[in-house]
Amino acid sequence: MSTKFKVVASAIALAAATVFASQAMAQDKKVTLGLAVANLQADFFNQIKQSVEAEGKRRGIEVVTVDAKGDAATQVNQIQDLITRNISALIYIPAGATAASVPIKAAKAAGIPVVAVDRNPPDAPADTFIATDSVSAARTLGDYVCKVTGGKGNIGIVQGQLGTTPEMDRDKGFSEAVAQCPGLKVVAKQASNMWMQDEGFSIAQDMLQRNPQLDVFFGRADALAMGAAHAVKVANPDHKVIVVGFDGDVAGLKAVRDGILEATMTQQTQLMGRMAVQSALDLVAGKTVPKEQLQQAQLTTKDNAAPFIEKHP
Amino acid sequence: MNARLEGMRNTAPPSARRRVAWPASLGGATGPLIGLVLLGVGFSLASPYFLSLRNALNVLDQVTVLGIVSIGMTAVIVVGGIDLSVGSVLAFSMMVMGWLNQDYDVPLVLCIVAAIVVGGVCGAVSGLLVTRARLPAFIATLAVMSVARGMANILTDGQQIVGYPDWFTRLSTVRHFGFLSLTVALVVVLVIIAGAYMTFRAGGRNLYAIGGSSEVARLAGIPVRTVTLLVYTGCGVLCGVAAVALASRLDSSQPSAGLGYELDAIAAVVIGGASLNGGVGGIAGTVVGVLIIGTLHNGLNLVGVSPFVQQIIIGVVVAGAVTFDTLGRRNR
Repeated sequence: MSTKFKVVASAIALAAATVFASQAMAQDKKVTLGLAVANLQADFFNQIKQSVEAEGKRRGIEVVTVDAKGDAATQVNQIQDLITRNISALIYIPAGATAASVPIKAAKAAGIPVVAVDRNPPDAPADTFIATDSVSAARTLGDYVCKVTGGKGNIGIVQGQLGTTPEMDRDKGFSEAVAQCPGLKVVAKQASNMWMQDEGFSIAQDMLQRNPQLDVFFGRADALAMGAAHAVKVANPDHKVIVVGFDGDVAGLKAVRDGILEATMTQQTQLMGRMAVQSALDLVAGKTVPKEQLQQAQLTTKDNAAPFIEKHP
Repeated sequence: MNARLEGMRNTAPPSARRRVAWPASLGGATGPLIGLVLLGVGFSLASPYFLSLRNALNVLDQVTVLGIVSIGMTAVIVVGGIDLSVGSVLAFSMMVMGWLNQDYDVPLVLCIVAAIVVGGVCGAVSGLLVTRARLPAFIATLAVMSVARGMANILTDGQQIVGYPDWFTRLSTVRHFGFLSLTVALVVVLVIIAGAYMTFRAGGRNLYAIGGSSEVARLAGIPVRTVTLLVYTGCGVLCGVAAVALASRLDSSQPSAGLGYELDAIAAVVIGGASLNGGVGGIAGTVVGVLIIGTLHNGLNLVGVSPFVQQIIIGVVVAGAVTFDTLGRRNR
């Protein structure tokens, strides 16, 4: 019996200790923002989270962060918990293929304003929506590929998770640009499941195996592109193969600086994080905020990667 | 029923009978139950938002899907198997439901039935692979997990399905009598039925006999293969039911749903006192295990612990809870 109690006591004590440690902050009766992140394993979301938390700290606001680990059902639970916790406003980065409207409806029912970031449920839009104009950014990237290849070449595309908004938008913009550039042809397309680097590696490797004449790889996210770049390096083809990515996360930017990636589109995560906090506070104060706040992504090449690594835009 | 109980006494081998006596009653769940209570006390002290009826109902809402899946998982683990496919089967059932409803205008009620049938078929496939093809349960259900996830994605090419009728989402959101949503009520009913069956019916007791030693069970006249097949099928059916509950809760169907649910369900069952070697475990314990997992997630969110620290705490508590229970059993 005594052993039993020792073990359970230590387990509970450990949980309780952590719980009490964070409690000091939790008790303050000031503005509290809830931040529901889709998946902290993705650097893009992690950047936004860090920006929101830094901005919150700077303004003396408490930010409570929850991570859905990519699962929409988990996220619904977490937002229910945030609402119970009486947050003043919710910053919502939807998890799952397209954004779920349930959390927004729940928050609205509780009278809590919602700022959606990156994705916005079409059937129940948030009070304001902050994101990158992905279609236009992907078009810019496509135009750049057209320019550096001299308008000629075979493209292999390593797609993100099918059915997600970023995948669809990036496809749309890039396809528009390729259509304008008659010498460029998309000859291979394959989807990944998790936007991960190892998937990019094996997908690109198989594409090169099937089609050694590929000149360009477009990884729909930097991680995918870096996997593809590694596949190119391993295959060691007899002609130059350029690889472009999207997102401009830190690893991607470093790869661009080092010439591993030709270019990426850097999303302004820090700016979006700060805007999310500002918009949330404005909504709490009853000010009007535009329904959509779309940001431009910046074409990043070897020439301008360094400052972004220093300080992410 | 008495006659059946007598029959069970005759068929179950003495060793299996002794091993099942404890965990089958609520008594077997006391260890985890103490843990749950302590967890509740800890969170009540740490967060002013935790101890309220509304939050307790939130936790119940949040564990409906895990609860339904874990009932099936309990039976599978008790017969000495494991089912890794539950999350994928759930996603597949959910997509079948949405796809029939949206693309073929099948009435939603029939789609719900279809989802449950699809879950049952997937479970039966696992069961056949285990009992007829003699694959280890781990491999058989791993294969089904992969196939089901692929099929879930194929139906709509990875797209999610949004837009169920209002009455359907109300199943999980409207709290009747101020506290009981229909999905939560469903879990309660399923728990009572499954718990009673596994504790008091000969058919339920057979599961423990098989898990204790399938060879002895077979010699004792229990149709081991048929029962095992039925257990996996039942687990699949419950995944179909869970899919309907989740679709109602999310107001959508997503092919990526249920990722990793198998691990949560296995954890809940084992926290509840079951042994992965089979023959030990029970619905009451599983319910407590599910509530521990649900309370842990809920409480940590309410307190506002950073997501990375949450993962550490959850791991420690799961390990602690199970250690506590194993040590306790050894002392007994």
